[in-house]
Amino acid sequence: MDHPGTHRGNGTGFAPPVGESAIEAHELGKQYRRGWALRDVSFRLPAGRVCGLVGPNGAGKSTLMGLATNMIRPTTGSLRVFGAAPGATESVLRTAFLTQEKPLFRRFTVAETLRLGRELNPQWDQEVAEGIVHAGRVPLRARIGTLSGGQRTRVAFALAFGKRPDLLILDEPMSDLDPLVRRELMATLTAEAAEHGTTVLVSSHMLAELEYICDYLLVVANGGLRLAGEVNELRAAHALLDIPGGGSLPAVAPHTVIEPHRGEGRQGVLVRLGAPITSGGPVTPPTLEELLLAYLRAPDAPSLIAPSARVGDIHDIITRDRQKAVTV
Amino acid sequence: MTTLTDDLAHTAPAGRPQNAPGSRQAGPRLGGTTWLVWRQHRAAFWTLIALTLLCVVVMVFLRGQVVDYLDAHPQKSGGLPPDFEKYTARLFSFGGYLGYVPLLTGVLLGAPLIAGDLESGTAKLVTSQSVSRLRWLTTKLAMPAALIALSTAVLAAVFNWWWSPVKGRSDTLEWTSGAFFDVTWVMPVAYALLTFVVGVAVGMLLRRTLVSMVVTLGIVVAIGVVWDRFRLDLGNLLSVSTDKGVGPGAARPKLPVGAVQQGEGTYFLTSSGARLDWTACLDKIDNDRAHTACLESKHVIGWSIDYLPISQMHTMQWLGAGIMLAVAAAVVTFIIFWGRKRLL
Repeated sequence: MDHPGTHRGNGTGFAPPVGESAIEAHELGKQYRRGWALRDVSFRLPAGRVCGLVGPNGAGKSTLMGLATNMIRPTTGSLRVFGAAPGATESVLRTAFLTQEKPLFRRFTVAETLRLGRELNPQWDQEVAEGIVHAGRVPLRARIGTLSGGQRTRVAFALAFGKRPDLLILDEPMSDLDPLVRRELMATLTAEAAEHGTTVLVSSHMLAELEYICDYLLVVANGGLRLAGEVNELRAAHALLDIPGGGSLPAVAPHTVIEPHRGEGRQGVLVRLGAPITSGGPVTPPTLEELLLAYLRAPDAPSLIAPSARVGDIHDIITRDRQKAVTV
Repeated sequence: MTTLTDDLAHTAPAGRPQNAPGSRQAGPRLGGTTWLVWRQHRAAFWTLIALTLLCVVVMVFLRGQVVDYLDAHPQKSGGLPPDFEKYTARLFSFGGYLGYVPLLTGVLLGAPLIAGDLESGTAKLVTSQSVSRLRWLTTKLAMPAALIALSTAVLAAVFNWWWSPVKGRSDTLEWTSGAFFDVTWVMPVAYALLTFVVGVAVGMLLRRTLVSMVVTLGIVVAIGVVWDRFRLDLGNLLSVSTDKGVGPGAARPKLPVGAVQQGEGTYFLTSSGARLDWTACLDKIDNDRAHTACLESKHVIGWSIDYLPISQMHTMQWLGAGIMLAVAAAVVTFIIFWGRKRLL
């Protein structure tokens, strides 16, 4: 994505980027009995991206994924998957969802699990699915209940990829895997996504690994969206300023302090740039992990939605919805 | 959700590899949700089929014994040969066992059907495929329901066939008893379908297999109690009366063959057509003359008995089955509505 001029601050005055949106959320909110899980969230995820969804536990990640897959209905606002309501035929066909628990029928064999995918999905690609299973040397005749966690996750991946989705939503896909299997499956994920141009939305707590697979980012905290945009875009909009001599904070105006960074690793203060950096001092863009940690530690920091992640005018969406006569 | 996603899986292009590894050649070729439901519940389905066949074999065998015994001991008057209680007792108790079928379909097939998927998360797995929730739910309800209907219909027919040689020939085998009324004709089909869908609804609401089974057990027992209380109210009571007095020599009213007496014993019929129950003049029963005088003072002219003729049996069963199926249809409507809106 080339948006000249977006690399400094909250550039304003840019028209919403054209190009297909895999997901578009408009003032989306979900209220449970115990309160709002997600409130007033607006963003778009351009098609073809591998997007990390990051946030503390209970921040609303799973709710957002449930809303995109029609498992949960929004209290306010609306969400579109490739321009269609999440329950509509078109979006159901184009979306695959792997929940955190990765439920499978334990008494089915691997082959039967793949057959389930074939029977229930018109665009099923048996070769892709079997390829993923074979790559992990998972025997087709084995029952799901006898497989290891990694093998089971692989079968669930195969089921998701075999559907040939345009949007693949993965909720904490790697949480219970050992590092080797995790690495291997992530390689599978990126390779498959790149080959088929699949948009991927993946939530994870493994920040370092997200850096390895993601080129797009959504950060949620306290039910609100904190960061959204291309990884490079977001990184470039921030800087980790060194603290000179270990004394007080340097003068940071016109930048916004996100978090004074004193801990393990580099010392410094993470700021969101408000203007091009003019004065001296070594300035480096933060790594993705540093950026994410800063925002997770400071959930009340002002949010930053990069232009590529901004939704269009509300009136456009209302008009479009009316034309499609889709109610939510 | 206003847009339904029916039949997505059925628009699949033909010519998919049909003999992929692991696909079983045994049994009918199924596809889509039908295959999934059969595969997921095949152990339960095969058990149901096997138990049905076992019951049929046992009933055929026991009927053979009945017929052999009747052939060996022909009776002129349409009564039953002596020492026949052994056979009628078997028939009666087997009918009683068949009366538990609705309980089993509700608790063992109905309750875990959807609760199991909600508990293990596989409901999410299925609904995140391309088939609509509605299609999955209807298949999930329809397949076991069809199998239950078939199985109970076969059991009912075979049991009726076993019963037919002695029908109306034994005073102890009253057709109004649940052991016959509830397990013949359409009754067991409707009864088992009702308990099945009640179990499914309970499982869908409670989302836990074991809890659902226990709660379903309670509800099915409650349905049984209510049903036993009101079953015979479906019939149209008939009376048979005499008007030749109630003296020692007077004939008692005679019930038609197969009829079952109802009400509080034999009533006294008065000349005005009113009826007095058997306690009338009971205090004077020791003294014949006083008793007669008492009855005459009340203008008693004969006896009267209420009964249900066996000819009403099918009508009553249709009525009862109709009520049960109507309730079951309401429950199914609820399941579909709730399942589409709030299943996950």
